[in-house]
Amino acid sequence: MASHYEAPIRRPLVTGEKSYHDVSVDIARPVEGQANKQWWIVFSLALLAFLWGIGCMVYTISTGIGVWGLNKTVGWAWDITNFVWWVGIGHAGTLISAVLLIFRQKWRMAINRSAEAMTIFSVIQAGLFPVIHMGRPWLAYWVLPIPNQFGSLWVNFNSPLLWDVFAISTYLSVSLVFWWTGLLPDFAMIRDRAVRPFQKKIYSLLSFGWSGRAKDWQRFEEVSLVLAGLATPLVLSVHTIVSFDFATSVIPGWHTTIFPPYFVAGAIFSGFAMVNTLLIIMRKVCNLEDYITVQHIELMNIVIMITGSIVGVAYITELFIAWYSGVEYEQYAFLNRATGPYAWAYWMMMSCNVFSPQFMWFKRLRTSIMFSFFISIVVNVGMWFERFVIIVTSLHRDYLPSSWTMFSPTFVEIGIFIGTIGFFFVLFLLYARTFPVIAQAEVKTILKSSGEKYKKLRDSGESLVGTGADKRTSKISIIKTNK
Amino acid sequence: MSSNKNKKYWKNLADLNPLNNNAIESLEQKEFIEEIPVDEFLGDDKSMSESSTTRRDFLKFVGFSTAAASLAACEGPVIKSIPYVVQPEEIIPGVANYYATTIANGYDFANVLIKTREGRPIKIEKNKLAPISASANARVQASVLDLYDSFRLAKPFKNQEESSWIEFNNDTKKKLNLLRNSSKSIVFLTQTFASPSTYKLIKEFKENYPNTKHIVYDAISESAALDAYQAKYGIRGLANYDFSKSDFILSVGADILGDWQGGGFDSNYGKSRIPIKGKMSRHVHFEANMSLTGANADNRYPTNQNDQKLVLLSIYSKLFNKISEIKLSDKLTTVVNNLMSELLLSKNPVVVSGIQDFDYQSLVLEINQKLNSEAFQPNKTILTRQGNDKDVEKLIIDMNNDKVGAIIMSGVNPVYTLSNSNSFIEGLKKTELSVLFSMKNDETAQYVSYLAASPHYLESWGDAEMTKGEYSITQPTIRPIFDTKQFQEILLLWNNNSTTFHDYLKSNWKKNILSVKTWNEALHDGIYENKKSTNSRSSFISKKNNSFASISSLASAIEVKPENTFELNLYSKTGMGDGQCANNPWLQEFPDPITRTTWDNYLTISEADAKNLNLYLEPSTFFNQSKNGADGGLNGKYAIITLDDRELKVPVMIQPGQAKGTVGLSFGYGRKRGIKEVMMTGVSGYELFKGSNSVQSIKITATDEIHEFACVQLHNTLMGRGDIIKETNLEIFNTKDSNVWNPEAVVSLNHEETPVSSPSVDLWDEFDRSIGHHFNLSIDLNACTGCGACVIACHAENNVPVVGKSEIRKSRDMHWLRIDRYYSSEDSFESDDIKKDNISGLGSSLSTFKEMEDPSENPQVAFQPIMCQHCNHAPCETVCPVAATTHGRQGQNQMTYNRCVGTRYCANNCPYKVRRFNWFLYNENDEFDYHMNDDLGRMVLNPDVTVRSRGVMEKCSFCIQTTQAVILKAKVEGRPVSKGEFNDSCACSAACSSGAMRFGDINEEESPISSLIKDDRAYHLLDTVGTKPNVVYQVKVRNNKNS
Repeated sequence: MASHYEAPIRRPLVTGEKSYHDVSVDIARPVEGQANKQWWIVFSLALLAFLWGIGCMVYTISTGIGVWGLNKTVGWAWDITNFVWWVGIGHAGTLISAVLLIFRQKWRMAINRSAEAMTIFSVIQAGLFPVIHMGRPWLAYWVLPIPNQFGSLWVNFNSPLLWDVFAISTYLSVSLVFWWTGLLPDFAMIRDRAVRPFQKKIYSLLSFGWSGRAKDWQRFEEVSLVLAGLATPLVLSVHTIVSFDFATSVIPGWHTTIFPPYFVAGAIFSGFAMVNTLLIIMRKVCNLEDYITVQHIELMNIVIMITGSIVGVAYITELFIAWYSGVEYEQYAFLNRATGPYAWAYWMMMSCNVFSPQFMWFKRLRTSIMFSFFISIVVNVGMWFERFVIIVTSLHRDYLPSSWTMFSPTFVEIGIFIGTIGFFFVLFLLYARTFPVIAQAEVKTILKSSGEKYKKLRDSGESLVGTGADKRTSKISIIKTNK
Repeated sequence: MSSNKNKKYWKNLADLNPLNNNAIESLEQKEFIEEIPVDEFLGDDKSMSESSTTRRDFLKFVGFSTAAASLAACEGPVIKSIPYVVQPEEIIPGVANYYATTIANGYDFANVLIKTREGRPIKIEKNKLAPISASANARVQASVLDLYDSFRLAKPFKNQEESSWIEFNNDTKKKLNLLRNSSKSIVFLTQTFASPSTYKLIKEFKENYPNTKHIVYDAISESAALDAYQAKYGIRGLANYDFSKSDFILSVGADILGDWQGGGFDSNYGKSRIPIKGKMSRHVHFEANMSLTGANADNRYPTNQNDQKLVLLSIYSKLFNKISEIKLSDKLTTVVNNLMSELLLSKNPVVVSGIQDFDYQSLVLEINQKLNSEAFQPNKTILTRQGNDKDVEKLIIDMNNDKVGAIIMSGVNPVYTLSNSNSFIEGLKKTELSVLFSMKNDETAQYVSYLAASPHYLESWGDAEMTKGEYSITQPTIRPIFDTKQFQEILLLWNNNSTTFHDYLKSNWKKNILSVKTWNEALHDGIYENKKSTNSRSSFISKKNNSFASISSLASAIEVKPENTFELNLYSKTGMGDGQCANNPWLQEFPDPITRTTWDNYLTISEADAKNLNLYLEPSTFFNQSKNGADGGLNGKYAIITLDDRELKVPVMIQPGQAKGTVGLSFGYGRKRGIKEVMMTGVSGYELFKGSNSVQSIKITATDEIHEFACVQLHNTLMGRGDIIKETNLEIFNTKDSNVWNPEAVVSLNHEETPVSSPSVDLWDEFDRSIGHHFNLSIDLNACTGCGACVIACHAENNVPVVGKSEIRKSRDMHWLRIDRYYSSEDSFESDDIKKDNISGLGSSLSTFKEMEDPSENPQVAFQPIMCQHCNHAPCETVCPVAATTHGRQGQNQMTYNRCVGTRYCANNCPYKVRRFNWFLYNENDEFDYHMNDDLGRMVLNPDVTVRSRGVMEKCSFCIQTTQAVILKAKVEGRPVSKGEFNDSCACSAACSSGAMRFGDINEEESPISSLIKDDRAYHLLDTVGTKPNVVYQVKVRNNKNS
């Protein structure tokens, strides 16, 4: 913000002849307007899926985990697969808002709000699974180190599952605070525009009395930076700790030192893919093509390509290390992964996660909206299978061949998974209609440097003085007429 | 203050302005501004008189409702428990009482010790005073649950209607008296009782009713062997073999570890298998089905019965130098030639055979007499099988010819077990009096006029002479639960004897049996050996030979198998025996030691034959679920087998080691009456038991129907993982250092190979375990025969739930202790290891591992009992978020059910996969209608062990309740735990009759376990993982030779 100057070769981040007021209007539009028919259809579907999922959860909790397809050998399958998958998806938000903030990547401004929303909503989904996968979920609070009257009972700090509890809850709270901090000026904008008293009341509550004073802005900037600093290690720590669930175990295929970086890369990979999935739809539905431009999608595709390749290297390293270790159990675990009864899942994972992102080397493909959307779906399917492969193929054939068996899901676990997808979309669709989906305050800060209109003005050598004023908001007419 | 005095408070304007205050005054006088219409309400006499609710009624209603609501809210569930008004002399609540008794149900005979708690028998244990040959197998271990069977008869029945004992007694006696002088006979058709007192009673009955016949009927007949023995030695019994004395066992179709000739040979067999001072027995086996015995043999030759006969004949002719032409295949000829030289070099060789043929059984007796091994003990006659097939056949003919007036059956179920049961039923209808003594309303019960409800053996008095001179007593351990009377009581009544059977038994023993001990001593011991009545071996070994057909005529009599037929070998399964215990959920869920399949029987067939007959299912892929379902569950095709005009639809199980051209089918399944519907599993092998011959020639046609098995082990081979079951050859064992055949795993520490047990490569600080008690369990893979008695003992001791067929199929068996069975993929496990080690490159590993998934045609078999290994560095303990599983001070890995939230992380992280999760609520849940779901069945539960709720993990606890009981007892008595008190206190090791499992305190000097853990053969399972288990295995040593 030091300067409004940006190199002309950089493509504008806000396209269209957007003025400051245009930004406010565009971003407040979904909140102020009426929901259209498509929104209601999608919302109803999501709600239905959510309700079905609730039904399946209630059935599980009232009857027992036996209604799932698990067995004596495979004690985790869809439950923890879904957990890791959702946590992974939840990774992109913090990465985009915190890490890219620190690196001053301005393109994040168009996407960070939704990415963070996605993070929070998917971490909520993820958090469901460790609870409902328990045999006695009503005792789930026992995993918290709460002083109690049961005697000298305390949690086991050796257990990675306990670390998960801390990691996920920390991540959720920091993400939520970070998200809300960013939302304050935007909520205030909606509050100020609101005409209905109820709406005004709500948004003034949500905006925590934001007044827009210079002091507000100064503190806002400071807090954002501090939170970004706090959140950055979390980007690495959360999935590292999730990977410890497996890495610290003794099961061949789980007991792997490569897991922390590999899981983090995978998480960013799937998170960006999910951001792409959501934003490609949202920019269309909410008419935000000028803010979430093809350039944004292209940049995300590049991240997907890079993290996908990292994940690919990790897969191959795993195979290499298995061979190099000389441990027969380890060797067989990976051989079985790639060629055993679940080889289809392995190759599904390989093709979705390693091969498909390689298309992004081609500019035509990575700038194609449809193709990006397609790949984003493929990547998320692949990442789901990655977790399934790690969990199920390692367990189903471990040390003693006498215990080897297979796993097949029942309608209940499938229903719960569908339910969480439904829940996620219920939350996201509600968010899209009630929250400012783009960090408009931040976008406005780069409008003069990176907005197409101002870039053009500057490129044509004209002064930008006074160009920010808008006749709809400003009574003093100092707007320059064209030429 | 003063201002307050003058302050005027007003309520309304009129009040403030006191000009017109009449209205206010009048208002102030009233509580309510408007008049309350009391008169309007009470003055209406008409409606008042019409109303039926008076004020008093109203108050009553209010009072009642309040009281009822508060009572309903306060009252908790009422659990009725009745205190002892008069404290029984021997019962201290919380302390178990033990009684010695004997099971003699006609199929299983064993001396046992019954553990009772508060008057309830809850567990069967080994009677340590009893001879080792009469120890409890899996079925006997499970028999306590039959006592609490909700399908037991509670009353006598007359013509299928409830009756009373008075009516029963009057009617039967009247009819018997009518028959006394008729031309028709009175027939007793009974099981083998082997009971001196019962036989005496029947004899007395005969004196009273001279037209009486007693026919003994064994469902699975040993008639031919009995005939041969009787012809030679003059007693209807069987020759005894003490395999612990033998160094060379040659078995031709004799399932010596199964129920061959009454069973019970496994403990002595197991003893001879432990290599002591470089010596162990060698066991060569010829058989068609893969039996438990064949699986334990050093060399096993799959042969059909014709070949078995030829093998016996050629051994005989070689031994006696008789030259005759025996058409044995070249391969078998060399085998027999090699065996002959071994046989002659051995000190104590025995030859045994299971061929049901008088000539061959006589021939075997003669061979053994010639070999004159110490192991052959014809003088210790086995009396637990006395049936006579010919008598039974004659009885059916007689019945149909109206020659039988009364038939009294006890301990038999001929309608189920006879292959020609239709003619038996026809005959039964022609009798004037038919009585069945039975515990169930079974297949036979529906055709008899009088059904006498019998007690379980744990509610009965009795005695048995299992082997000549060895007597045992059956005593009740609980008052009869139902209105039942035992066969002997009714016999006394018919004999007009007014004494009770207890008194009768006692006086008979005092008079005829006891000489050294008193009755009370004998009753306490449960057994009594009368040395006088035992025969000397020398007089028996010199008995003259039976005359039987000549070798050449026997050889030529062997029928060539007709084209397109298969040789069906009927056998009894370890878990189900003759089928009388089919309503026992423990046994239904007991995995067969060989096929590891539960809740079923099946036609076993070799892979080659299955492929030819189109009965083979291809291995499953993602797109095609053929051999296994998507959840891994094993599938099999249905086949239709035809014998004469009979057809039977049976599921087919591919059995490695099955001789080509033969198939196997077990007895004991296919029950149709008197048991729960879920227990009516499998098909009845008895239907094909034509002429009581266990070998039949049948035709097989394939169908396309698929049967779903419930198999607990879906992968059959060891995949070349030789460090799981370490084994070696006796020769290597005797000549090489233990590092060669039992190497300890090493890891690299500073480029030096360091043993994994070294503290320098340990992640954790070692805890001092030399103080106090530290428990270990040793499992000798040589002595373990895989019989599964420990599995049931563990089930009973620890209240392990039964989950049913569909759950087992989903790999959710709950057994805390399992016996893994592996087949070799090559000829031997050794070649498997070599094959795996020779893998080089990706292509070779892909193809080799694929091949190694399939067992060989005639595989080596290995058994490995696995329970929680109680790792000192337990992977499960570190991962539990709530510390529900922790390490005990005495070495146990403990599971705190109350604390468990059920994440299943511990089970995932267990390298041995021994943890079992309660997927559902298994007790008091209608979905699992087994013993834990009915009031009677629940009486078997061990009050010392928690019944687990759903959602918690469970596993072997090293029977901590028993070790703790030992410690507490010592504490109460104010003394340290004495030597050997912990030995074998775990349910599994206590049940193990072959001495394979030894449990004890390693900190106790001179305890067997403390030396076993230091044995050269000792190794820890998966020591590479560094778990440091407290269970130690002893390397399996095979005494095999290549021939």
